[in-house]
Amino acid sequence: MNAVALVKQVPDRNSVFRPAGPWIDESSLGYGINDYDRYAVEAALELREAGAVKQAVVVTAGPDEASQAIRTCLAMGMDRGIHLVCPRASLADPFRVAKALAGVVRAQDAGIVLAGLLAEDSGHGQVGGLVAGLLDMSWASAVTAVRFRDGKLEVERELESSRVAVVELELPAVVAVQTGANTPRYASLRGIMASRRKPVERIEPPELANPDSCDARIRSLRLAKPERAASAEILEGAPDDVAAALIPRIRSGAGIVLGGGAS
Amino acid sequence: MNRRVLVLAEPEGDGVTEVSHELLAAAFRLAGDGGPVSAVLPTPDASASMAAAETLGGAEVLLVEGPAHDGRTGEETAAAVRAAVEVTAADLVLLPHTATGWDAAPLLAARLETAVLTGVSSLQWSEDGLTAERQAFQGKFVHEVGTKRLPAVATVERGAFPARPAGSAAQVRTLASPLSLERRRSRLLEIRDAASEGVDLAASDVVVSAGRGMGGPEHLHLVEELASALGGAVGASRAVTDAGWLPHDRQIGSSGVTVAPKLYVACGISGAIQHLVGMRGSRFVVAVNKDPDAPIFGAADVGVVADVKDILPALTRALTGADG
Ligand SMILES: Cc1cc2nc3c(=O)[nH]c(=O)nc-3n(C[C@H](O)[C@H](O)[C@H](O)COP(=O)(O)OP(=O)(O)OC[C@H]3O[C@@H](n4cnc5c(N)ncnc54)[C@H](O)[C@@H]3O)c2cc1C
Repeated sequence: MNAVALVKQVPDRNSVFRPAGPWIDESSLGYGINDYDRYAVEAALELREAGAVKQAVVVTAGPDEASQAIRTCLAMGMDRGIHLVCPRASLADPFRVAKALAGVVRAQDAGIVLAGLLAEDSGHGQVGGLVAGLLDMSWASAVTAVRFRDGKLEVERELESSRVAVVELELPAVVAVQTGANTPRYASLRGIMASRRKPVERIEPPELANPDSCDARIRSLRLAKPERAASAEILEGAPDDVAAALIPRIRSGAGIVLGGGAS
Repeated sequence: MNRRVLVLAEPEGDGVTEVSHELLAAAFRLAGDGGPVSAVLPTPDASASMAAAETLGGAEVLLVEGPAHDGRTGEETAAAVRAAVEVTAADLVLLPHTATGWDAAPLLAARLETAVLTGVSSLQWSEDGLTAERQAFQGKFVHEVGTKRLPAVATVERGAFPARPAGSAAQVRTLASPLSLERRRSRLLEIRDAASEGVDLAASDVVVSAGRGMGGPEHLHLVEELASALGGAVGASRAVTDAGWLPHDRQIGSSGVTVAPKLYVACGISGAIQHLVGMRGSRFVVAVNKDPDAPIFGAADVGVVADVKDILPALTRALTGADG
């Protein structure tokens, strides 16, 4: 029985994003692993290290450059990778992505599949659940802890109002991991060296070949900066001047007494 | 054109959750011309849920009853809603964009061979389907998406629609659940409160919060010094508490503490919706962020487009009267 982590490569969050029609202009961006997915990878590694699963397998869908995301996960300690090669624009439709991923997961003897709760870019937050539904596996989202118990999986789910649900899942199961579930490790130098010898299988799934396929369930129509109803008064300038301008605004706006040099 | 809309109603106390009434409001708007609006309420005991059903003003309520509906896992909810979709021939199913919706919507969508429009704040029928507005890039952009596939499934952001006032249901029917205890593959064991005691952030008049933009734990003293100069407490975004820069009891937002101080200072926080819901009630909000497009500026009274490492010490100096 193996653990399979589903990972997406997303634009670096510190990039300058420019909307371009239905999506952003992706011509000059750096990419990295989706933050949520780092927690999924770490959870998979911890399960393998605890002897609960045999192998930890990483799967990603994306263009050639996305192989870098797989390399990073292998350097963190994942055993092998599977790369579903497709145009980045094909990732816009979570259904077809899930369908392609499900096809691969089915053949991995997966006891547990771990996805990130959502992707930082598109934020659709459903690929894990779709894979579970398509493969008829049990499922929980917003998961902050996983442990095997009596041949089942016990997970903690984050609810609203600081409540936690403890849920038992029969195997095989898919979970969407929430940030903070663990402390994702960084790749060590040794890990990076070792990753070069780890196998990566490349597959070109027909579902994802054409981004504009009429089979798409969700289409991206437009991306734009939000119109802000009430926008802030913006202060710019030398820090000390800005600070001097802020104090009277805080005093009258917040109605608080300020101490020290401000009074 | 008449469109059939189905919403999930989640029992809570003697009634249903507030967001259930919001979903109903959205549904009546979308159904148009008084088109039928249905609500599905999964329950282990239909007779005990009658009172809750009767608050779903104007809706045709389906109580999906069965012993497997005692825990509200995604599997349970999806099975009940799926049964209701068949009975009502719904064109659109609305679930809340909450832990319930996160769990149930994708399972339901997989059964219906479609994807979910998640976290939508508006919905509209189009010539050949449905379009919706949602957020992408963690609130930085509005993302318009469309689907041609019906029935469609959407999760609706809380607060996006004003709740429909409670009133009597148009009809209440009971349906035996297709999900049996034997077939069920997930089971709720318990729900507990995540213990969070410690600083009483909610009682502070001033909260100064650190975000990922602070750059690392080694810079957090800048936030602490400003908080102390303002006589306030230190809060944080989830990115900061997840990284262990500050303990979890400092986290402000939908999965943390809700605060409504007189003054809220957001330092290097982008302003994701899950953070904003935790501080929206603040009287006066100052945001410092080097990105002029950061969504936090949409929730601030005064914004400073600058590096926190420059502004925070300058403000602390000005407040304490120390020489610059
Ligand atoms: C179910 C769920 C529940 C969640 N609950 C919560 C919650 O309760 N609370 C919460 O906060 N989040 C919550 N989140 C996470 C939320 O979506 C965001 O990911 C998080 O709030 C981001 O934190 P941040 O703003 O500190 O980091 P980022 O989004 O990374 O933002 C950092 C900001 O700092 C700015 N910056 C960088 N360097 C500097 C500098 N030198 N000077 C000035 N500015 C700088 C950047 O421009 C950026 O805007 C939740 C998410 C989910 C899915």
